[in-house]
Amino acid sequence: MLAFLVTRLLHAVGVVFGVAVAVFFLIRLGGDPTALFLPPEATLEEIQRVRHLMGFDRPLPLQFLDFLGNALRGDFGLSLRYEQPAMGLVLERLPATLELSAAALALSLAIAVPLGILTAVQRGRVADRAGLLFSLVGQSFPVFWLAIMLILLLSETWQLLPPSGRGGWQNLVMPAMALAAYSTAIITRLLRSSMIEVLQSDYIRTARSKGLASGTVIFVHALRNAAIPTITVVGLQVGALLGGAVITEEIFAWPGIGRLAIQSITNRDFTVVQAFVVFMAVLIVSINLLVDILYALLDPRIRRR
Amino acid sequence: MKRRDFAPLLGSGLAASMLAPGSRVAAQAQGRTLVIAQQNDALTMDPARHSAFPTANVMFAIYDGLVTMDEKGEFKPALALSWSNPDPTTWRFVLRQGVKFHNGQDFDANAVKFTFDRALNPEFRAPYRSRIAAIRSVQVVDRHTVDFKTAAPFPTMLFSLYEASFAAMIVPPGEAAEKLAATPVGTGPFRFVEWRRDDRVVLEANPDYWGGRPAMDRVIFRPIREPRTRIAELRSGGAHIVADITPEDMPGLQGGSTKVANIASEFLYFFHFDTTRDTPLKDRRVRQAINHAIDVDAIQRALLGGLGQRIATVLPTDAFAYDPAWKPYPYDPARARALLAEAGYADGFTIPLTSRRGRYLKDFEIMEASIGYLRRVGIRVNANYLEPGVWAQVSERKGREGLIFGGWSGRDPDLVWYPLLVTGQYQSYYSNPQLDALLQQGRSTIDPAERRRIYAQAREIIHEDAPFLPMLQPPLLYGLAANLDWAPRTDGMINLRQARFT
Repeated sequence: MLAFLVTRLLHAVGVVFGVAVAVFFLIRLGGDPTALFLPPEATLEEIQRVRHLMGFDRPLPLQFLDFLGNALRGDFGLSLRYEQPAMGLVLERLPATLELSAAALALSLAIAVPLGILTAVQRGRVADRAGLLFSLVGQSFPVFWLAIMLILLLSETWQLLPPSGRGGWQNLVMPAMALAAYSTAIITRLLRSSMIEVLQSDYIRTARSKGLASGTVIFVHALRNAAIPTITVVGLQVGALLGGAVITEEIFAWPGIGRLAIQSITNRDFTVVQAFVVFMAVLIVSINLLVDILYALLDPRIRRR
Repeated sequence: MKRRDFAPLLGSGLAASMLAPGSRVAAQAQGRTLVIAQQNDALTMDPARHSAFPTANVMFAIYDGLVTMDEKGEFKPALALSWSNPDPTTWRFVLRQGVKFHNGQDFDANAVKFTFDRALNPEFRAPYRSRIAAIRSVQVVDRHTVDFKTAAPFPTMLFSLYEASFAAMIVPPGEAAEKLAATPVGTGPFRFVEWRRDDRVVLEANPDYWGGRPAMDRVIFRPIREPRTRIAELRSGGAHIVADITPEDMPGLQGGSTKVANIASEFLYFFHFDTTRDTPLKDRRVRQAINHAIDVDAIQRALLGGLGQRIATVLPTDAFAYDPAWKPYPYDPARARALLAEAGYADGFTIPLTSRRGRYLKDFEIMEASIGYLRRVGIRVNANYLEPGVWAQVSERKGREGLIFGGWSGRDPDLVWYPLLVTGQYQSYYSNPQLDALLQQGRSTIDPAERRRIYAQAREIIHEDAPFLPMLQPPLLYGLAANLDWAPRTDGMINLRQARFT
């Protein structure tokens, strides 16, 4: 188990490092942002003066070493636009994003788990068909379209919910629905197929033949094994939810890190983009690590591999 | 806000038909709270440390400048009561007395000096420093009089001092100035209450405002980037001023609980010709031909629903020295073809177009339509739409080629023609010694009548030599609550001093 953990951890560190290098150089491909911070009539001398003050006239490798050295100490520099610590800005917006992602994940699981089980058990019957149709539809709608339809219907037409902003639970309903649609569909389909597979296996037949209650067979014996691939996907979906939150937050004016990321990219606020990307990489890598560990706990065979 | 409190009640089974009146009641219960939805949040609460219009709109509610611009585009007293030129390189301002900052500090000549000393200090890195850079020094004459000294006569001083010159908003000297980024202290009509980043900036009325207590008790700026969401907020009563709507949104917002405000902005759409490289654009006849080839009126009708303002030269129609008698080149494709033949391009030619896209209202559609018109007279255009960062890079090495659609604004010829046409200027792709001399003269003359005469002459040369194809001032469109009395301005700044519900 220890060897397993160490290998995984090393992988994780390598991935985060690679992402940091990539974002540093990729974001600089389009030129430095000096001119975009100045009014259109700024003269060339003014642009060069400000560039020098910001340090963007230094050789790129030197700027990179600075970035790396400071990042290792947890210092991602000041936001070029807000003039505040870049990582601080990202972390400040984290609660809003976590709130939204957690709500969406909870909603997804609350729908997907019962639906996945139901469709597997009812395989081929009406409930199954309906469930599959539902998940196909959920998977097919792009988030931005679904989000705008929700706003049109629930805010503009029926005036049930506020179209945007963060505040009470009413503000959370539509963004969570929009964000959850895709994950719900994926998890439902996956859980259904693993359940079907597991339900056909020998040990289930044995369990049934022992005369165990159908509920016990499904929820205790089958679900536990069917859960393994599902947990992988749920783990991946957490990443996807955080990613998908970028668009959802933008449409519902939800003050989370996704919105900050989009603004920072359009504003060419390098330091914030770097802080955001590195933070997301750490987060997603950690979730994957956690999923790996969870596997190992659920399935002893993985541990020994 | 109130609607949120109603929502559980509504969700518990009221018929949909009853909801609309419910929310209207809620809107009234809000009292005099005005919610403005614009694309972006403020970046800071320090007026001198940003370069963004949405931020400037928030700052303009909290701070004042020495002068302000009224809805007709004329300069009016704000913190300065009057101004004069004791000599050509001095602008003297007599300040309003008895004005206090929100923290109780007195506004006086020291505050003015402090504001400009701070923003002009290169180390301070005020992004809009270049707009005030001509100011050599600010001298306190007495407690209520200041002199602005310039190296050369500076006729456009007032443009450097009003609210669109961001760094010119007056801040308090001393300790308060250190904390402006988070806790703004101005002399303006609204005081700071709360800033929840990326969510809202909340301000309240300053009851002691020198211009009279504003009609609104509270003002909330909300950043909502998605246009559909902004409109949904307006429709559902969650916002009262919604910036940046499109002509297509207009019909849906006219009538009922919403309306539309429309004004021709001072922004300028035009093609700028690169005459520095060896291309057909070096030939004046070709440039004139292009002016004849594109039907700008038709483009304005078709793409902007006739909104905005056609211009006869690259200058807003209400700019200083603009003469309504000026006429653009008429649309005349036959004449365009004749001029091209005369210049030796009877078979046409191919030319690049350098621009960004999706930056301004319908910019891409207008460029594409123009390309279509040019094709009809034999000019083939290779459009090169650049990413903003790349555009800046390309501009810096003077790499804009062919037809350039960059956009510009400015309500004085010196602010527009000087940087775009004078030989060697960073953004100039043109050289004409005769015009250079006139534009140099215009910027070093204080007397308005004399300046008008100079710019009338300059316009003759510009029209004849055609370094531009002037097109139009695009419209600024706002969605408003039907019961709101508020007027937009050509410069796009949102002034809430007179805003009131009817």
